[in-house]
Amino acid sequence: MYAKKKWLSLLLFALFAVLSFLALFPFFCLLLASFKPSTELLRYGLNLQLQPEILSLNNYYYLLADGRIYFVWFSNSVIITVLNTALALLFSSMVGYALAVYQFKWRNIIFATVLFVMMIPIEIILLPLYKLIVSLRLIDTYWGVILPFVVSPFAVFFFRQYAIGIPRDFIDAARIDGCTEFGIFFRIMRPLMAPAFGAMAILQALTSWNNLVWPLVVLHSEEKFTLPIGLSSLLTPYGNNYDILLSGAILSVIPIMILYLVFQRYFISGLTVGGIKG
Amino acid sequence: MDRQVSAPADSKTVPTKPTRLRSFFHSQKMAPYFFVAPFVISFLLFMLYPIISAFYMSFQEILPGEETFVGLKNYQALNNEHFYAAVSNTVIYTIWTLIILIPVPLVLAVLIHSRFMLAPVLFRSALFLPALTSIVVGGAIFRLIFGEMDTAPMNTILIKLGFSPQQWAMEGGTAMFLMVALASWRWMGINLLYFLSGLQNIPKELYESAEIDGAGSLSKFFRITLPLLKPVTIYVLTISIYGGFTMFTESYVFWTNHSPGDIGLTLIGYLYQQSFENFNMGVGSAIGIVLLVTILVINIVQLKLFGQFRREE
Amino acid sequence: MHNKLLIALQSGVGAPDIADIEISKFGNFLKGSNIPLAELDDLIQPEKDKFIQSRFDIYSKNGHNYGIDFHVGATVMYYNKEIMDQAGVKIDDIKTWQDYAEAGKKVLAATGKPMTTVEVIDNWTFWPMIAQQGSDMFDQNGQVTLDNETNIKTLKFLHEMVHGSKIAVPAPGGNHHKEEYYGFMNKGGAASVLMPMWYMGRFLEYMPDLKGKIVIRPMPSWEPGGKRSAGMGGTGTVVTKQSKQLELARQFLGYAKLSKEGNIRVWKTMGFDPIRWDVWDAPEIKEKNKYTDYFGDGIFDILLEIKDEIQPVNISEKTPQAIDLIRKDVLFKPLKENSMTPEDALKKAADELRK
Repeated sequence: MYAKKKWLSLLLFALFAVLSFLALFPFFCLLLASFKPSTELLRYGLNLQLQPEILSLNNYYYLLADGRIYFVWFSNSVIITVLNTALALLFSSMVGYALAVYQFKWRNIIFATVLFVMMIPIEIILLPLYKLIVSLRLIDTYWGVILPFVVSPFAVFFFRQYAIGIPRDFIDAARIDGCTEFGIFFRIMRPLMAPAFGAMAILQALTSWNNLVWPLVVLHSEEKFTLPIGLSSLLTPYGNNYDILLSGAILSVIPIMILYLVFQRYFISGLTVGGIKG
Repeated sequence: MDRQVSAPADSKTVPTKPTRLRSFFHSQKMAPYFFVAPFVISFLLFMLYPIISAFYMSFQEILPGEETFVGLKNYQALNNEHFYAAVSNTVIYTIWTLIILIPVPLVLAVLIHSRFMLAPVLFRSALFLPALTSIVVGGAIFRLIFGEMDTAPMNTILIKLGFSPQQWAMEGGTAMFLMVALASWRWMGINLLYFLSGLQNIPKELYESAEIDGAGSLSKFFRITLPLLKPVTIYVLTISIYGGFTMFTESYVFWTNHSPGDIGLTLIGYLYQQSFENFNMGVGSAIGIVLLVTILVINIVQLKLFGQFRREE
Repeated sequence: MHNKLLIALQSGVGAPDIADIEISKFGNFLKGSNIPLAELDDLIQPEKDKFIQSRFDIYSKNGHNYGIDFHVGATVMYYNKEIMDQAGVKIDDIKTWQDYAEAGKKVLAATGKPMTTVEVIDNWTFWPMIAQQGSDMFDQNGQVTLDNETNIKTLKFLHEMVHGSKIAVPAPGGNHHKEEYYGFMNKGGAASVLMPMWYMGRFLEYMPDLKGKIVIRPMPSWEPGGKRSAGMGGTGTVVTKQSKQLELARQFLGYAKLSKEGNIRVWKTMGFDPIRWDVWDAPEIKEKNKYTDYFGDGIFDILLEIKDEIQPVNISEKTPQAIDLIRKDVLFKPLKENSMTPEDALKKAADELRK
């Protein structure tokens, strides 16, 4: 039995090592390329040769020395991402939870509307939504970027699916203990849904951090730009600045990576900690 | 609020004198409306007008500062080979992503979650990392790896294995492969994350009692894991159908929306081209409405089949 | 970026005072009768004869001008002198496309390398070759001329070079802006390439190993004495009618892009051929810079030589659609896949445009 387990572990390890290699290889190429002059990349294509004499921090230096605007974009992105993620998690989890556990008249209609909003291609509502944001005087503001999408239908749907899987015993027990409906959500369900919050926090933050289409349309002043808008302004019809593009991309990954490391511990908590009482 | 209504549920458990406020907090009738309020408000405030307006635009010809009603003309304009190419590419792409991006991450998640797994945190993070890169840069890296020269990494490998090098971005079959490969690379870790968080929801006790009954690994997978992952799987299925049908960037990074012989044209790509490159916003809106209705119908049918609209799951 | 501008102009709020619009998108902003851009005629009028007139025509509608370009985009032939010498071909003996094809055979025989690369998913090879003959995708009234005799003959010529004498190959990656192409050309992959003047920057940035080996010459002509260039590409700077400082913005644009100083800066900082030809022999233009280091001193002598031969293009509302068709079918099917004859490919696209 023990030998069999060991075999299985090794087999799994080998499988995942190969998969991880496939996943990380392009990433590694990118990292390496960001330390080389872009002419190398175009001259010899992508390669993994480590020639210490051409590796340098120059690309990062260009990026950061090019005025402080990169940091301004960076911090704008952080502000928008944090606000957007926090609000989206709160609201979406409330809605998803209600759709999962309560029986009420409008439930299926609201659920269908959530799906409907989720399926709208943003390209067709850009112009009317822009007009709306203009008339609400939210143009060129962070709230104009955040508010229209503050209740993420994707997150609502996910929280709903997650809450469906949680046994009702918890809720009934809490009601017997005299807990209010809101208490049940905030004190009982929230911790139980921790893995869902973890997953959604990462994905919402990721979406918000990389979002380009809507913020590009709403934000007009350069000092309010987010990182993706700023970086895309480095791509011009007269040639792309590969140097800055690659180093900028590497740096822009870091905050989300930190966030991932912070939230991923929620995956190992969850139901199993407490188990089902009685 | 009417105390009588909320009383039956709470009467036994709340012996204190109920005030109006108190009964509101305990009311199972009112609570759901409070919880869904953020969605309802944001929908009415921010989405209703744009949606109606987009629908209306699909019957208009739009020029700078001029909007004229043209009836069904924009929809009739979709009867052309480019639109059909876009439909066919989009459907094939969606099918491929459904085949790859649901079963594979599901199985991988179960394996990572298993107790035989060494260093699960490490591998989970490694597989998630591609999702963090922006698509523009991910696309640039893929273009270089799948370059058409003999010296590009992938062709080098093919040549070493005795195959002939490929011009990946120039033929229909390999073009589809590029898009699916890029999508798989970027989305595998994300779907893995969904399934992993779903697995946390399954009580270990269920497995333990199944083991006592002598169930093997496979039977545990099919009898416990799969049924209990159903809600999350339905979620992944729904968003994958949406993601497949609205794919654009995975094609854009290879051909900037002008692919030879339309091998990379997708529905959103065609919409984008009409709305913003040719400034035919009316036709663009018509494509968007057709697309919206298609995805919605497919997903509603699928969700109905899986019993997601029943009163009690 | 330009969808942002479209949305801002369409909704009437949020457009900037001044914006750059790429030529292939410019037609979108001239649709209908309520053009949201300010007219610039009075700024241009006083010194009109100092400029390459066709660069104003492409941003005009009903006789009014709405945009000012950065450059002429004169199309030229960039020869790799090293390869031409190896094959024993004198570059200055190439006068016509016939000479060019003959030279190509010698190059192929002597070096095994193709004479040139042809864009198959982009328009920078085919378009200048038809434009230099006074032909185009549309005529001046916006009527489709894509399948006329001249265009069919030209595409057949390209087809013969690629599939007949094999002195040309489809550009690696499909056009001259792909990573594959830069790597190929940088290693001396082909003996020449036809591109506009603004392509100089790409040589500098992406093909550093060709420094000192590239010679710039006018395009070969179709018959002796024929026209030897065409103005390609471009970005028109506009003033939007939404501007709260409309007059100030117009005056600034006029100074920045019409004055002698402005045009000299366009060359010095961007390496483009400025639209004001009377600065082409100014002393500031003759100063050494990174472009003269790479290509030698004679760059503007070539431009002055072909000044009156730089043929214009006709821009219509359907130009974005036509360019899209050319990028995906018209060149790719005959030149790359060889799955359609030049004639059929052009006819099919022209029929679609006429609908």
